[in-house]
Amino acid sequence: MMIMVLIAVLYMTTASAQENIDESCYHCHPAQVNEFQASVHFNKNTCADCHGGDINISGTVVSINVMHTNFTGKPTPLNVTNFCSKCHESETLVYKESIHWQRLKEGRSAASCTDCHGIHNILSSKDTNSSTHFENIPGTCAKCHENQTRMQALYYGIQTDRFDTYKKSFHYKSYASGGRLLAVCSDCHENHNTRQASDPKSAVNPANLPATCGKTGCHTGANNVFITGGKIHEEQSVKLLSIDAKGLVTYFYIMMILFELSFTIGLIFLGITSKFEIRRRH
Amino acid sequence: MVEIKFRRFTLNQRIQHILFFVSFILLAYTGFPLKFPEEWWSRLMIESVGGFDNRTLIHHLSGLVMIGVSVYHVVFHILEKPRYDVLFNLKDLDDFKQQIKYYLRYSDEHPKFGRYSWKQKFEYFGAGFGAVIMGFTGLLMWQPFEAMKYFPIGFVQIANLFHTWEAVLASIAVFIGHFYDEHFDKFPNLSWLTGNIPEEELRHEHPLEYEEAMKNRVVPENIEHDKKDNILIVGFAKLIFTMIFAAICVWMLWISYNVLVEAIKTYIL
Repeated sequence: MMIMVLIAVLYMTTASAQENIDESCYHCHPAQVNEFQASVHFNKNTCADCHGGDINISGTVVSINVMHTNFTGKPTPLNVTNFCSKCHESETLVYKESIHWQRLKEGRSAASCTDCHGIHNILSSKDTNSSTHFENIPGTCAKCHENQTRMQALYYGIQTDRFDTYKKSFHYKSYASGGRLLAVCSDCHENHNTRQASDPKSAVNPANLPATCGKTGCHTGANNVFITGGKIHEEQSVKLLSIDAKGLVTYFYIMMILFELSFTIGLIFLGITSKFEIRRRH
Repeated sequence: MVEIKFRRFTLNQRIQHILFFVSFILLAYTGFPLKFPEEWWSRLMIESVGGFDNRTLIHHLSGLVMIGVSVYHVVFHILEKPRYDVLFNLKDLDDFKQQIKYYLRYSDEHPKFGRYSWKQKFEYFGAGFGAVIMGFTGLLMWQPFEAMKYFPIGFVQIANLFHTWEAVLASIAVFIGHFYDEHFDKFPNLSWLTGNIPEEELRHEHPLEYEEAMKNRVVPENIEHDKKDNILIVGFAKLIFTMIFAAICVWMLWISYNVLVEAIKTYIL
C-alpha cells in the first residue's frame, strides 16, 4: 500500500495526465500499452478514448475507478466503428457502405476496422510493418479469406483459394521473384469500400472493371474494354462454348507431356543400349 | 587425311536457326523463373539478367525475334523455295518401325534415312507448331487489354495456360530430345555453324541422301580440308557440354515433374 501511494504521488508530480493513464493501465496490461506506445495513435489518443472510463481518476490505486464511467473492456466489432469514427469520420462512412459492415449489421462476423488495421499496434500504411502496408495487404486479407473453417462458418460461397489464385497472377509473381508488387487486393476490390462483385457499385462488378483496371498507373487505356466471359480468380471455370476449357487443355497436356517424356527418354535409353553388343548381331 | 564435307545448310538457314535457338534459350531462361517465382534458381536467374523488369523486356524482345524468324521462314523461305523432303511420308512410318525393331534387337538393319529422319521431321514441325502457339498466346498475354477488345478474358487465361504447357513441352523436346540426338550423340556437330557435314557422317546418318548425291554427281560445293580435330579439345568440349546438358536435363525434369504434380493435384485429385 505504501509503495502504491508512493508511486501514485510520484506520477502526480512528474508525469502528465496522459502518460499517467498509460502508466496506470500498464501495470495490468503491459503488452497492450507497449503496443500502443509503438503505434501511430500514441500521444494523440489515450486508452480512454477507445475504452471509455474516467480519465481524471487515477487508475493506479483501484482500477474500478477507471472503469466506472462508460467503460468498454473489449469493444465488439460493431462498436469499434464508433470509436474510430470520432476522428476518422469519412473513412468510417465509406466503410459502412461495404459488404463487411452489412454482414456485421446482420449479426454475422466480418472484418471491422481493427481486423485489418490492428488493435493497439495500428501503424501508418506507409510503415512497412503495418498490416495495411501495400506489401502486407494480401497477407492481411488472406488472414480471413484463406481460412477455410472461418469462411465456411460465416458465409456460403466465399472461396478460400483467392490468395492462391492471386499468387499465380503476374501482379504477385513479379514481387515473389524479387521485383515490384504490381497490384494487391485493395487495388481492385477497394479497401474500405469492399463490395461483392454482384453489387453494381462494386469496383469489381463487371460493369466497373474497365474503370478499375484502367486506373492511372495501371492498365491505362483499358477504360473502353469489356472484360467479360470469365472471372479473374477463376481460371478453373473458364468456359468456352460451355466446355471446361481449362480442364480440357490441362488433361491434353498432361497426356502429351507424359507421352513425350517417356518417348524421348525411352528412345535415348534404347539408342544407348543398342550401341552395346548385349547379344551378338548376325 | 583429307575429309570431304558436304553442304547441308545454307547461310540463310543457319542464321534462321541461330536466331531461333538464341531467342528460344532466352525465352526459356527468362520464362521458367516466372512459373516458379519462389525457387532459389528462379531468383538467381532473374538477378543474372538484372531484375524482374529486364527479365520481362528480354522475354518480350526474344518473343518478337522468334515470331519474326517464324514469319520469315514461312513467308520467304517456304514460298520462294519449297522443299518437299521435310514432309512426312509413309517411309517415315516404316523407318520408325524399323528403328524400334533395331533398338529391340529384332533386326540388325538400321533404317536408312534420307535428308531428314522421321525424328528430325517431328522436331521441325514441333518447333513450327510450338512457335505458332507460343507466339499467339504470348501476344495475348503481353497486351491482355488489347486482346480483350476482341476476345473474352477467358481466352487470355486459356492463352496463359497454353503458354506454360507448350513451353514445357517444347523445352523437353529441345533441351532433352534435340540436344541429345543432334548435339550430344553427334558431338561435335558443327553443321549448325559451318553448314557442312562430313562425308562419313552423311553416309552414316543420311545414307539415302548420300547415295542420291553420289549417283547424280550433284555434290554441292565439295569442300576439302585437312582433318585437324584435336582430340583433347574435342574431349574437353564434350565434357563441358555433357555437364551443361546434364544440368539442363535435371532442370527440365524438375520443371515437368512440378508442373505435372500441380496440375494433377488441381484437376485429377
